[in-house]
Amino acid sequence: MTARKRFLVALAGASALSVLATVAVLVGPASAHKDPVTAQQLKAYQDALMEEVRKGDLLFHGDDAIAKQMGVKLTATGMACAMCHPMTADTHPHTFPKFQAQMAKFATLRDMINWCIEKPNQGEKIESDSDAMKALEAYIYWSNTGSVLIPGRY
Amino acid sequence: MSELEQDRREIASVLQQPGARPDPSLKITRRTFIHRSCLVGAATVAETFAWWPLLNTLDIANAADAPFKFAWISDTHLYPKSLNTRFVEKTVRAVKEVQAMTPPADFLIFGGDLAQLGTVEELELGVELLKEVKIRKVYIPGEHDWYLDMGKKWGELFGQANWTFDHKGVRFVGLDTISRAPDYWSMKKMSPKERMDHMSVLDGTVAGPWAGVGRDQLDWLQKTLSNWDRGKPVIIFSHNPLYEYYPPWNFWVRDWRDVNEVLKPYTKVTNIHGHVHQVLYNEIGTMRSIGMLATSWPWPYAPEGVPKLTRPMIRVDPGDPYDGVGWSPWSVSAQDKVDTEYVMWGRKEVFAQSVEDSFANIPEILRPRIADNMYPY
Ligand SMILES: [Fe+2]
Ligand SMILES: [Fe+2]
Repeated sequence: MTARKRFLVALAGASALSVLATVAVLVGPASAHKDPVTAQQLKAYQDALMEEVRKGDLLFHGDDAIAKQMGVKLTATGMACAMCHPMTADTHPHTFPKFQAQMAKFATLRDMINWCIEKPNQGEKIESDSDAMKALEAYIYWSNTGSVLIPGRY
Repeated sequence: MSELEQDRREIASVLQQPGARPDPSLKITRRTFIHRSCLVGAATVAETFAWWPLLNTLDIANAADAPFKFAWISDTHLYPKSLNTRFVEKTVRAVKEVQAMTPPADFLIFGGDLAQLGTVEELELGVELLKEVKIRKVYIPGEHDWYLDMGKKWGELFGQANWTFDHKGVRFVGLDTISRAPDYWSMKKMSPKERMDHMSVLDGTVAGPWAGVGRDQLDWLQKTLSNWDRGKPVIIFSHNPLYEYYPPWNFWVRDWRDVNEVLKPYTKVTNIHGHVHQVLYNEIGTMRSIGMLATSWPWPYAPEGVPKLTRPMIRVDPGDPYDGVGWSPWSVSAQDKVDTEYVMWGRKEVFAQSVEDSFANIPEILRPRIADNMYPY
């Protein structure tokens, strides 16, 4: 019996879904992930991040055009995220997830973003996996590059 | 060492030399927030929250005149009424409370950022709301009032941006720290609205180091003070702090070294400033500098921390529009003490009582934004 078969047998008790996922990883295209990463690939990955950061930066600073383009209404008071959080100060993405007193529940950064949109900004909350949420999250995390993870910190 | 860190060290070596402090007759009383660490040297993090009893009282000599009060309101950041009623409500509340002071204040100083985007509608709304204050009013501009029409409407409404007057033994000076921005708009052919949009974002990177006093105004200040007794009290109002706290947000004036040169001979100088929307205290040579709350919203402390002498304010509840904001009454007593307190509507304790309750509690490393430099300009 090969090592791979033994491994698959051992997984028999796991859910069908996770077995399928495991198989996909184990029997995937023979060449996948074997070539050294190229400079072009690295640049493409970085560009993908920075495009999200750019969009998030504009949303965060109350840019009307990008909000319209992405179909979101983050504020109804003229308040933008950056008015309380210049350079994303005091957003503290590195402290999430945590119990968030304002919501009285255990919350993720995305929960907190939506809370700020709805309460201080009086805007319309956005889908947790929407493009706007990903962009805001990308901008906030990028801005806090180098901050040390301390999940749960009050 | 970062450029900012270098600047920090420079300001400490130039302006905070051993022995150079505000006049020793400036006694500590109940409300001043001098930090212990500045008196005994460097503090550990734990010590940072061990305070002296607080005060904010300047003991001023030569005060034969009657005691009096004045009031400070700033940073109302009014939008048109149709867009934002909260800012209007908070301005109305501050105005009512100033008018209700007993004994009444001799005058109100409005410390700038009356409007959010500098429009005629916003500035006129401000004038209308401030009409409820019947005592004398004096004004200095903020950057939000100015960069749509380069101060045209503001000047029509409030006159000269810098001024001086003597009142009951104190020389008061109003400075304009906002109108001398380097030209960031002509080359890029910005519309007035675009110019204002860049200026109105605190962490914008395009408007650059716009806060400054300027050589012409420094000369004027020097002349203004030249006939004033060096031991008598001077109170200087400015929108920006007259030292360097955090340049990326213009929590400074870029020519603070020159300001210090002019003020050096005067031993009882108090600078009261807006713009930072937060509790802030520092001593620069013989000047003490006190930051005031906004009525609109609080700014967080700079990511690199607060001046050592500042006792940090509480962490604000973002769900309460009345938390972290307010105004300040000031009084000058018969013994010539200048005394103030922060009227913060959201709570009784303005200062953090523990590390966890402090606005400066969680360490963070931040980088400047990028999108305003790449798109769409
Ligand atoms: Fe302001
Ligand atoms: Fe300002």
